[in-house]
Amino acid sequence: MKFSSLLTTLSVASLAVFANAAIDPEMEGMEPVSRDDGTFLVGGPTYYFDRILSAGGIHSESEIWTPAKLNNRLLFNRMSVLPSWDPMEPSVWVKTGNELGDMIYQDVITEYDRPTNRTPILEGGFRTPSFKGFWATARGFQDDHYSARTAGYRKKIVSDEFAIFGENYPMFSSIYGGLGFTNDFVNAYALAGEEYLWEYAESSRWIPVHMKPRVQGHVDFWNLALNVAYEHAEYQDVRVEESGERDEVNGSVLYSCGAECQKGIFQISAGMAFRFVSDDGDVYTGLDNDRVLWPFMQLRVQPLRWLRADVMFGMNDSDWLVQDSIEMGSPFPVKGMGVTVGVKNISGTRLNPLADDVEYFTMKGVSDDIDLAPDGQMNLVQAYLAFADTVASVSLGGRATFWAEHGAETFDVEGYVEDGGFEFRYGDVARINSWIKGITGELWIDAWLEDMFKFRALAGFERIDGPMERFEVTPAEYFVAFTGDWLIRKSFRVSHSLRFRSDAQWNLRGHDPLVVKGDWYWDATFEQQFPRFGLYLTGTLIHVLADEVVQVPNGDYDRIRFVCTVKKTF
Amino acid sequence: MKLKLILSAAVLCLATMPFAQDPADSAFSKVYVSIEGGELYPFGDLQDAVENAFYGGVGLRYSYWDDFDGFVHFNYAYVKVRAEGIPFPGVHQFVGRLGLDWHWKHIRPLAVGAGFTCNWTRADSDDEEKYYSGRGGMLLDNETEFGWFARVNMPFLYFKDFTAGLNVLWEELWTLPERSNMLTVGFYIERRVW
Repeated sequence: MKFSSLLTTLSVASLAVFANAAIDPEMEGMEPVSRDDGTFLVGGPTYYFDRILSAGGIHSESEIWTPAKLNNRLLFNRMSVLPSWDPMEPSVWVKTGNELGDMIYQDVITEYDRPTNRTPILEGGFRTPSFKGFWATARGFQDDHYSARTAGYRKKIVSDEFAIFGENYPMFSSIYGGLGFTNDFVNAYALAGEEYLWEYAESSRWIPVHMKPRVQGHVDFWNLALNVAYEHAEYQDVRVEESGERDEVNGSVLYSCGAECQKGIFQISAGMAFRFVSDDGDVYTGLDNDRVLWPFMQLRVQPLRWLRADVMFGMNDSDWLVQDSIEMGSPFPVKGMGVTVGVKNISGTRLNPLADDVEYFTMKGVSDDIDLAPDGQMNLVQAYLAFADTVASVSLGGRATFWAEHGAETFDVEGYVEDGGFEFRYGDVARINSWIKGITGELWIDAWLEDMFKFRALAGFERIDGPMERFEVTPAEYFVAFTGDWLIRKSFRVSHSLRFRSDAQWNLRGHDPLVVKGDWYWDATFEQQFPRFGLYLTGTLIHVLADEVVQVPNGDYDRIRFVCTVKKTF
Repeated sequence: MKLKLILSAAVLCLATMPFAQDPADSAFSKVYVSIEGGELYPFGDLQDAVENAFYGGVGLRYSYWDDFDGFVHFNYAYVKVRAEGIPFPGVHQFVGRLGLDWHWKHIRPLAVGAGFTCNWTRADSDDEEKYYSGRGGMLLDNETEFGWFARVNMPFLYFKDFTAGLNVLWEELWTLPERSNMLTVGFYIERRVW
């Protein structure tokens, strides 16, 4: 293995050591469901708390803005892959699944303790092959999982079924279609569609947003990428006869360091993300000045092949955010072995400077403007040491990190309101103006046999010292995970993932903390592959072992589920 | 129940164990279509819920590896309700199955197979607006559940491109509060397409 590639391997490993890609997620963007190398708590397809054990700090990954998320969706204050409007590769696909536990014929003999309804998942779409560069695409998708527990409450807020299909009040339901053009120089597409979303707010409310239309355009040309979306969003709460509208234009322009640029010592990329909104009537969040412009710059300096520094810096009239790191490998390469040391830093006034600034909370006589942009700044520093050693078909790796954070974002609760059996909060996003310190350790072993078999065992622990009662989530202290992937006769894939995560706890979303008990999780994917025909028949079982619990306050039960997909690539 | 799920998946894995043999590029080198009819028999507490029922359907079988075939089945059955006090006489049932048959050389021409099943049901009722919270109420709306099955495929008559045979299939649906078990026995006539 070349040393530079080993350094890259270690760098990647230091970001995400848990290779869980073999388990097919129930939908694009739901990958955290099959991860437990940290704290991954899923409240539904539009909200989850996702924090890798050694990420440093107490925030979840989707709370922080990075240039890598330019094409993600902004759902309230989170950057979310789902509902993804990134066109798929040329193919046609159908997906369906269900939370296990519908009664079918048990229905007619079950008098008492009848299980609640289990809800499905539906997706279908296509992207045509290119015809002289032109192609067409369409996709309809919605995830009804995680919807039944809150559906009875949520349905009173909206005037119709609030979905493209069915009556389960899914957390999102989306449909779009469009045309594109791709050749060696240009990749461009325009999409239009309709979307229903329930966004999880700081108050723990689910806010219904109906986008009709949503239009998105994207152009890649030379080293430039332009992404623009127009959204006409309707808001409502029919219980109190409220309704409102938001017209929003958001997007980004990015200049990326191209192939020639990447040969240099200084590699510069730059861009700007933006949002312009116009609100009318009752819209439950607000953006200061109805706009945000967010210019940013990325710089990589690599003076030596074993030394690299990265900086991302963004700033506008109200916020700034810096993310930087320095990483160093051993200057004297040893075959099969690599050591990396690094430091990283995140400082800024907001984790997500593109998000709205206020949530308007009114419930049962309580009225409060929840400030989402706290004063002051946060600083996170982290140092890490990672190593990997490969002998024949076995690789051993490890990583240790120390981190400290000052000014971590939290929520100062002024009070709670109970409504319909659920608890909601008001107050302001605030900071923990003292140092929180953490130390982590992880070890993993990989083994493989050509392309047929891959195995990974991984374990990690984290010890945090700080005022945990002020953490939104007290992260899990340790985990262990085993993954095994078989590719039998080069065309039948069986992937397994067996994991245990210790307790995690929500501290601020209700009078009493919500403890999400530690548990074992087992996922498995089975796939018939026909590579010559581009045909893939896939079935995935998700969370088979785990107890069915609520992982996020006001969220729904995380149920055992089965999802199958038929995909034909062109 | 979890143990059963694990065992189910383990059986599926075992059914696809890697045998010391290089893969032959035989996928879709042979394709068959079939019609099938037979009877399904509820097992365990399901016998109190519904009666035996006839079913009819169509299938597609294709070579996957030299000793394995893949297959897809769809069938329909009208399943009469046996339990008392249910506000509809029967249930429309559509089933889709996807699985693999293993042609083990020691038991030829028999083949043993396993796979996943998807069961879609809806009560035979025009009372769509009336939602019952009691027994049978859920079936007034669409109900879907997945499960797994194991089967034995016994061809017994060959004539040119046609084959007649018997499928004996045991399946378990992952329903609540109990899993639902059924045995299906059906005759099929299959024609080789290429």
